[in-house]
Amino acid sequence: MTKSADILDGLSEATPAFRRYARALGAGAGLVVADGVVQAALQGLGARMRAREICPTDREAARVEAYAAITALAARKFIATPGPGPRQPPIVHGLSRLHVDDRAVLLLICLEGFGYETVARIVGASRESVFVRLQRARLAMADWADMTNIPAEMSPTRNSAHLRVVK
Amino acid sequence: MRICASLNRFAADLTPPPSSFVEEADLHAFVDGLLDPQQRRQVEEHLLTHPEDAALVENWRRQNAALRAVYEPIARETPAPSLRSAAAQVTSQPQGPAIETGATHWGRPGVLPRMRRREDVLAQQRRQAIFASVLAVLAVAAVAALATFIFAGRHESSPSQSVMSVPQGYVSRAGLTYATYISDVHAVEIDASRHDELMSWLKSRVGFAKLPDLSAHGLRLLGGRVAPGVAAPAGFLVYERADGGRVGLYFERATASVSQQNAKVGIGIAAIEWRAADFAFVLIGPLSVDEMQSVAESAAARVNLPAPGQ
Repeated sequence: MTKSADILDGLSEATPAFRRYARALGAGAGLVVADGVVQAALQGLGARMRAREICPTDREAARVEAYAAITALAARKFIATPGPGPRQPPIVHGLSRLHVDDRAVLLLICLEGFGYETVARIVGASRESVFVRLQRARLAMADWADMTNIPAEMSPTRNSAHLRVVK
Repeated sequence: MRICASLNRFAADLTPPPSSFVEEADLHAFVDGLLDPQQRRQVEEHLLTHPEDAALVENWRRQNAALRAVYEPIARETPAPSLRSAAAQVTSQPQGPAIETGATHWGRPGVLPRMRRREDVLAQQRRQAIFASVLAVLAVAAVAALATFIFAGRHESSPSQSVMSVPQGYVSRAGLTYATYISDVHAVEIDASRHDELMSWLKSRVGFAKLPDLSAHGLRLLGGRVAPGVAAPAGFLVYERADGGRVGLYFERATASVSQQNAKVGIGIAAIEWRAADFAFVLIGPLSVDEMQSVAESAAARVNLPAPGQ
């Protein structure tokens, strides 16, 4: 297997993780939009690899590039998406209140397990910026992690929202 | 103050702080699992004596746990094949909107119309290719027909060849009819018990309505049917021997007036052909040539037609 094919296989295997990250980064934006971001990012990455604009040396480098592409695209795609619905878990509401840059750093570290140095490469910022964003995100999320219910102002009374009148 | 200290820690590779001092950056790194064992033990000792920092760490841990609880199941889903191979896909618009996700989302604006346009172009190209192929075939056929007409016209001076080609056609059609119907469950359309009906049908469709009795040769008439002919429908009578072997008598209005008898032998099948009264007859079946000759003579006699060779 050539190196290029091996790298593409690596990206294919990492697709579930890309979806997870994009879905969290969208913070309630929806599965279709999140998957759309992943697909567009991977297509763009593949095109840049074919054009020799970037030449990842191994699977891990390609994976980092993919996360970078998703993060860059998400900053544009998720900027105008509506917030999560009232039935979403509180942590999702907390995520949606974060700036997308802070959200990306928090998710890359806490959900995807990257180190600070790698996250700095992915988001295109310095380590100091990464740390500030992480601090800011965790501080803003502090009140949301312990919540079991959504605040009243964000949770309109829709106890029967799962019911549908059929006749 | 703590944030400033943390920034200084991250800003450069400074010398590590005294072991007795734990910064907020260390707490974050502790939660995120980025400390080496020695640093980790140091932070753990620090947390034992600093309950407010321990509460902070615990809160961050719950954040992480809550995030994983919500989003980890997504990583266990099977992505759509097009998503898995997205990096390998060659697309003219790599930054285009989402396409397939495994979920049903028809009518996504800007996506489907573009796909349809591409499909339309391909379909049009296919139609053009098919049309061109048909035109080419027709042109070749026209040229071949013209050449055949020209060469056939040149040989019209030898009518015997044209006449001789017709009998071979009768045998071929008789063989085809025999092979098609002889072993069929419904080898005959009307059986011999409906003698008058069979006679009437053959008379009206084929123009010949006699059913030769070949029982002297051990052949019992099963019945008959109408089969495809050239100028008109042909008749096909089926006889059966005691051992189950079947013989067919094929007859068709002949286009030539030459009376001739030919015996042909196939693989286990013999055929004998003669003409009389504007009809061509072919007797075909699993008999020897001698037997076939004998049966053919009897058949010709039974229909009051001159037997071949007489």
